[in-house]
Amino acid sequence: MQAVLEIKGVTKEYSTEGGKVRALDNFSLRVGRGTFVALVGRSGCGKSTLLNLAGAMDFPTSGEVRIEGASTTGLGEQQLTALRRSKIGFIFQSFQLLRTLSVVENVELPLLLSGVGAARARALERLESVGLAELAGRMPYQLSGGQMQRVAIARALVHSPALLLADEPTGNLDTTTGNAILALLHSLVRTEQATLLMATHSAEAAAIADCVIHLRDGRMDGTAAAKD
Amino acid sequence: MPQLTLFYRLILRPMLREPGRTLLMVIAIAVGASVVLAIDLASEAAAGSFHSSMESFSGDNDLELTAVGGVDERCVGLLDTQPEPRRVTPRIEEYARIVQDGETVPLIGLDLVAEAGRYAKEPAQLLPNGWNPFSPAGKQDGAMAIWVTADLGFKADDQVELQINDTRTLFRVAGVLPASAPSGTSAILMDIADAQQVTGRRGTVDRILLKIPPGESMEQWQSRLGKLLPAGVSIQPQGTKTAANRKMLSAFRWNLRILSYVALLVGAFLIYNTISVSVARRRPEIGTLRALGASRLLLLGAFLAEAFALGLAGTLCAIPLGRLLATFTVRMLSLTINMLYVSSTAGGLHLSASTLLLVFVSGIGVSLLAAFAPAREASLVAPTEAMARGARDHDVQQARRQLGWYSLASGAIALLLSFLPPLAGKPIGGYAATLFLVAAAALLMPLVVHGSMRATSGVLQRLFGIEALLAARSLSGSLRRTAVLVAALATAVAMMTSVAIMVGSFRQTVLLWMDKELPADLYLRASGTAATDRHPQIAPALAAKIASLPGVLAVTRFYAFESDYQGLPVSIAAIDTNAPESGRDAGFFSGRTSGQVLRELEEPGTVTISEPFAYKHSLRAGDSILLPLGSTVARLRIIDVFYDYGNEHGYLVMSRKNMLQYLPTLPTSNLAVYLQPGAKTEAVRHAVQQAIGGQEVVVLTNAELRREAVRIFDQTFTITYALEAIAVLVAIMGVAGALVSIVLDRRREFGLLRFLGASSAQIKKMILYESACIGLLSSIAGLCLGYLLSLLLIFVINRQSFGWTIRFHWPLPVLSAALGTVLLATVLAALYPARIAQGLNPIDVIHEE
Repeated sequence: MQAVLEIKGVTKEYSTEGGKVRALDNFSLRVGRGTFVALVGRSGCGKSTLLNLAGAMDFPTSGEVRIEGASTTGLGEQQLTALRRSKIGFIFQSFQLLRTLSVVENVELPLLLSGVGAARARALERLESVGLAELAGRMPYQLSGGQMQRVAIARALVHSPALLLADEPTGNLDTTTGNAILALLHSLVRTEQATLLMATHSAEAAAIADCVIHLRDGRMDGTAAAKD
Repeated sequence: MPQLTLFYRLILRPMLREPGRTLLMVIAIAVGASVVLAIDLASEAAAGSFHSSMESFSGDNDLELTAVGGVDERCVGLLDTQPEPRRVTPRIEEYARIVQDGETVPLIGLDLVAEAGRYAKEPAQLLPNGWNPFSPAGKQDGAMAIWVTADLGFKADDQVELQINDTRTLFRVAGVLPASAPSGTSAILMDIADAQQVTGRRGTVDRILLKIPPGESMEQWQSRLGKLLPAGVSIQPQGTKTAANRKMLSAFRWNLRILSYVALLVGAFLIYNTISVSVARRRPEIGTLRALGASRLLLLGAFLAEAFALGLAGTLCAIPLGRLLATFTVRMLSLTINMLYVSSTAGGLHLSASTLLLVFVSGIGVSLLAAFAPAREASLVAPTEAMARGARDHDVQQARRQLGWYSLASGAIALLLSFLPPLAGKPIGGYAATLFLVAAAALLMPLVVHGSMRATSGVLQRLFGIEALLAARSLSGSLRRTAVLVAALATAVAMMTSVAIMVGSFRQTVLLWMDKELPADLYLRASGTAATDRHPQIAPALAAKIASLPGVLAVTRFYAFESDYQGLPVSIAAIDTNAPESGRDAGFFSGRTSGQVLRELEEPGTVTISEPFAYKHSLRAGDSILLPLGSTVARLRIIDVFYDYGNEHGYLVMSRKNMLQYLPTLPTSNLAVYLQPGAKTEAVRHAVQQAIGGQEVVVLTNAELRREAVRIFDQTFTITYALEAIAVLVAIMGVAGALVSIVLDRRREFGLLRFLGASSAQIKKMILYESACIGLLSSIAGLCLGYLLSLLLIFVINRQSFGWTIRFHWPLPVLSAALGTVLLATVLAALYPARIAQGLNPIDVIHEE
């Protein structure tokens, strides 16, 4: 079966004033459809770098990243943008909603950026799936943190991406709300058959994943722990 | 110095990290302040230190004697024979055109025998080649002697051909006077007897200067001489005419100065915007500083210091830039003053301490003033609210209705102020109304931006896609940043629009006026540059000669004297009343035809006056005035008032027949020739030219004269357009700078959009749409505000400054071109910020959070 995400021997180095920093070191990973993967590790271990590479936002220094079989290496700006539009959805720790757009407008944004018509209906459908259809007309500042993250999830899923990338999605939420968000993510991954790669510090979050990867200094610490 | 360290770290370093934005702001202030400096320097040189060209070689005297039509030369003898010792200097004052290069310079006739003793004390260079310049050389080889100032480029013994009135005459240079001649201007001197001969002033002189002995006051002398001399002779302290001209020019200078502040006002908006955005962007940082112990005063000082630094840098750049601009401006102003007011020579550009102070106060003061409100806001940030990102924009959104009420109040104040009468001859109420109107518009901007963007975002999205929607939402969602920006650009556009409407209306009014005022088919005048206060004479016999030509129906003569009335200059003209009746409204307040008015003007003791004269002296039809004419003082009844746009200080017009009773040797400067029905203009023109023979007289057709008038008009208002264009330039630079700020402030949003699938081209499009929206909104708001401002300019400021009635007219081609340019320039100004936005690394900006 073709993997949704395949990372082969990826090394990522950044140049800083103090010299080169290796964020990922010969890292490999293969994730199949409908899998929920949790990336855990201390700050600076390479979680965010891995998400950026997986999201076609950045290129590896060496190695290869493939998303549904398509290698990001050698792609131009336009092709990377097209890849992100069709196959990837992002969820951020601080929600990152555009405060000038209403809830539904935020959700339909990826579709509109891709030039997709009938965006409103699909956006409302997504909002329905996260339980916020009745708040479609509100502005972000009128929502609670949990509601904002639900909107962000709806936005990430609106174009039915194969790969969902979440960076500390519960980091800015209290435990109860955070757990509700995790449950929602889990259920959506199941129903949508999307692949979720989630960076987290939270043990509760990692606990509901299908597979937990521990990162340490840019390498996998031990082996990926797959669960039943 | 911990404060300095903090200032560097918190203010200077962030400014230096964004050099493009900082540079744009500095340039905006520099251009604004340099315009103020340039106009101040140039108007001081051209008008402030006004010196009539005719003041050349006038020396140090106490009183001057003048009379309409010239002072009888017997008065010189009368004054000389009085027992008290005094110095009497009669003068002939005329303009001569140097045929070789076409330059027109003052020609002064002095009694060189009497004056020789005085000027013999002048430096030795007055005596080149052994000539004594103040001893008449007499005619040699048939040529009269002249003395020229060195700047004219002649040397002793050169032959110079001069056109005086309509006649060319050959002269010989007897000596060269230093370039720094007494008045500092170019001049040609000749003996008074020769001057009387070549100018046709037989038996009269133009002015007599008098040095009185110490002891009695000038008033006592004026009273005593008044009894001695004919009633028509005016006896005033020397320089009265210069003072009157300066007074007349003061309105012109005021309006020019006010216009020069427009660019600075726009700059102030941009400073406000920059500091305001800086405060909004750094609220978390400010909150942290407050939590760490920074006092409110320290924060207030820090942001004011930022404005000071921007203002200082801009002002320092403005000084050389303004000096450079002034060199171009002074030429244009000089031209305008010569065309509209009085023949004069611009002085040098002097950067005085007061001018420097003005520039520093303008540049730095305006920056500090504009920055005060946002700096105060920074000082009021509470540590607890520091992390509430976007809260301030939300506040502005909430406050926009309240600002709308303030706007209404400001507009109402503007309306009330516009009804105030002039104060000390200046339209202070009108200027204040302008400021309040601009303030009203600025206060209304949050409501306008929010409302218009909300209302049109759907349409914009349908027409231009999601990028346009995002741009529209960003504008309405960031009112703090965008409303001020739109207000700044709208103000500049409004000023440009209002001036364009005012000038366009004025131009249209003049065109309509010319239809009434120029009914003849051909017009004749002495060749050379025309000027409002110069009336070179043409041969008296020419009128009769032309009247007898086939195809000519009538010829009317015109002549004007420059004089003063109640301390203000006036032109007193005499016209023939035999112009054919056109049967049309001829531009009189009464609505009568020219034939009706001219018939009444034939009655003795009658006069018509121009609108500016009527306005300045609060006169109207039916009033009577006392006017010194020749050797008497005439009581004249005003029979009508006519619209006139050819002369700002105003006209008094009498019939030639009546004027001859006071001035029996009345010359002629212009002829108007009316053709018989069916006569061919070109054929008659040719015949007229034949009749003129060798005289230096030009014949213009009606159409040519109009074209010439329109050319002069357009030339006169070039500087006005230039000033407004500079204000718009400042605003557009400000838009570019502010867009850079907006891009940096919203980098997180742009990064996010990239994560959500936006291409860099879409980001660029978004910025360009945003800029286009700013340009479009500013243009529309500016057009509306400009319309209101133009009403103030036309019906309040112009009326109170100059007394002209201007009919409102929309100069559509000019406005469309100007607004189109503004819109295009605004979009182009966004290219640089758009490039910055495209270059942002989404990963970096998204992880800054």
